[in-house]
Amino acid sequence: MGKQELIGGQEMSDVRTCGRTTDVRRGMGLYEKLNILTDAAKYDVACTSSGTARKSDGTGIGSCEQSGICHSFSADGRCISLLKILFTNECIFDCKYCVNRKSNDVERASFTPEEVCTLTMEFYRRNYIEGLFLSSGILKSPDYTMELICATLYRLRRQCNFQGYIHVKAIPGASPELIRQTGFLADRMSVNLELPTAESLRALAPHKTRKNILTPMRLVQNRMEENRQEIQLYRNAPRFVPAGQSTQMIVGASPETDYQIIRVAESLYQRFELKRVFYSAFVNVNDDAALPAKTGEGPPLLREHRLYQADWLLRYYHFRAEELLTEEDPNFNVLFDPKCNWALKHLEKFPVEINRVDYKMLLRVPGIGYKSAIRIVKARRLGILDFADLKKIGVVLKRALYFITCSGRMMYPTKIEEDYIARNLLVAGEKLPAEVTNMGYRQLSLFDDVNFSAPETSV
Amino acid sequence: MKTVYVCNDTVTGIFSGIYDAWKSKKGEEECEIALRGMLSQQLFCDYVEVEETEHKAAAVEALIKKHLGRRAYWDIYHAVLSADSKKGDAVLGTMLAARAIPDSTKIMEHLSHPKVEKVFELSRNVGGEAHSYKGFLRFRELLNGVLYAEIEPKNQILTCLAPHFADRLPVENWMIHDKTHRMFAVHEAGKKWVILWGEEIDETVLEMVSDKEEEYARLWRGFCRTIAIESRRNPRCQMQHLPLRYRGKMTEFSLY
Ligand code: SF4
Repeated sequence: MGKQELIGGQEMSDVRTCGRTTDVRRGMGLYEKLNILTDAAKYDVACTSSGTARKSDGTGIGSCEQSGICHSFSADGRCISLLKILFTNECIFDCKYCVNRKSNDVERASFTPEEVCTLTMEFYRRNYIEGLFLSSGILKSPDYTMELICATLYRLRRQCNFQGYIHVKAIPGASPELIRQTGFLADRMSVNLELPTAESLRALAPHKTRKNILTPMRLVQNRMEENRQEIQLYRNAPRFVPAGQSTQMIVGASPETDYQIIRVAESLYQRFELKRVFYSAFVNVNDDAALPAKTGEGPPLLREHRLYQADWLLRYYHFRAEELLTEEDPNFNVLFDPKCNWALKHLEKFPVEINRVDYKMLLRVPGIGYKSAIRIVKARRLGILDFADLKKIGVVLKRALYFITCSGRMMYPTKIEEDYIARNLLVAGEKLPAEVTNMGYRQLSLFDDVNFSAPETSV
Repeated sequence: MKTVYVCNDTVTGIFSGIYDAWKSKKGEEECEIALRGMLSQQLFCDYVEVEETEHKAAAVEALIKKHLGRRAYWDIYHAVLSADSKKGDAVLGTMLAARAIPDSTKIMEHLSHPKVEKVFELSRNVGGEAHSYKGFLRFRELLNGVLYAEIEPKNQILTCLAPHFADRLPVENWMIHDKTHRMFAVHEAGKKWVILWGEEIDETVLEMVSDKEEEYARLWRGFCRTIAIESRRNPRCQMQHLPLRYRGKMTEFSLY
């Protein structure tokens, strides 16, 4: 049976039912719909278009850049890369942390597949966006919703010939066949883990289960593996989610420690081969007894930032979760980034000699990012490096200087002693991204004499 | 006495200057590449006007690709597009330095050499601006269906942008106008893009947009406004990532 037939049929019936569900607001224009369905999608954090490179075949519109492209930045300082919308904000579920939950009285709207396609194509032509990020509330049933999403993607790829980036959410509880079909049309698929543990999920998302979430995740993983073999056999075999799968966890809505969270992330990377785990600082939009009380402090952005830093260490710096935190000491230090914190606790391993130390250890030096580490390894083959060279290479010397020597010399005479170094690092200040500063953390008395400045991309 | 080779600020011009300097077999201290119009006169120098030819430029390109490798050529090419007046000199210095190391294809890793470091820095800067514009550039659809964009870059990045958009929008007619350097990249559907200099265009045509244009611009402005999370509002962070100089030509920052 042809895919065309199957999906064509679904699309027909969907168009009709979509009309029915929005009957009451027959007059709602595209502008209002876009407004509602953007507003409902904005708490999703995974707005990246990276992870796949594809040239256009010359007949359609669109290509993908490996590193991703930001097209704009919104007033909260986050990158806008994709048209991030919900297909519908109708929902039969009642997750306590979500604006779109069944029990909330909010204005509802649903797109039609045509509308999503028109917006994507017209925005893309004008270079507003890199592609589409389509998520959805659950309309009628998981399968019903997944069918609509699949039909939308099918139309976008096959009828509109769109070759840009598509990130799609798999709906927990949707049938494997629908998830499989959708995966062949998308670049990235993700299933939200939502909360780090099964208990929290039970407490805050009563209609979801850990099993319902992990099953599609496993399915996507297995299908990707099969697809790798197909591609080896037939070079032109269709690609299944070439940019891999990701997930996101809400941080601060439930009582888990940082240690629990990064252990979960680590096992997702290892056991499910995820490309990315995203962390979303909890924004309290509902007054609900099951949720932490509103404090007026805003979302826990510093915590979110520390988790991202730790996540980098897991993915690019060869750290393991239990090196960073332990059951006894389960939360990140507000004052020091996780790598610095590790270094302060392992002073016996320092200082290291820049011209000799192996790459893995180089990665563990505060102030040396992975790009600088690679440059150091290459540059020292051509000559002996001193502190001035390190500066050119991009090493942040005011942080690194306590941990390194060049040709046996330290930059300044310093004591290798935890208190002394910690104090000096505090004075040097951590370059937190503006996303975290400016947001109330300055009021913390601990930070009073710390100067924040421009952000730094490496850890 | 030091010889200063004076050339035009174009890839062909600078490569021609490097060609002449290279041929003279002078050492790094004895020659310099300078740009016409950005000259600071020095005493005791011999100024030579470079004759610019495609042949010289092609020879230098081939020389770099053969001995320094494609990756280094990529950096050098980007450095030459930069707005820095010392760029030609940095490239020449890098080429001379490459002769002094055992494996010349590794030259861009030799960051402790000042000229190499300069080329690396310039390339990173130009590459960065080109990358920003790949995202921040905005097309508007004119009445005749052509997608038209204006940019005001510091560096000459049109040749970095054109292949990107040609790949992405192969079936569209589009045009990118670099207002700083008065250049255009023009792409006709299904054909190869071209760069034009010194053309005058009829401003009135540029103001006449298609029927749907304002509607999509309005939808986009609405989207950008709504996607921001109020409790995470942070204009300083937005400013860091998207400096004001880009915003003038961006749909979502214009009122109408
Ligand atoms: S399933 Fe839960 S999280 Fe998703 S839209 Fe419905 S209520 Fe919100």
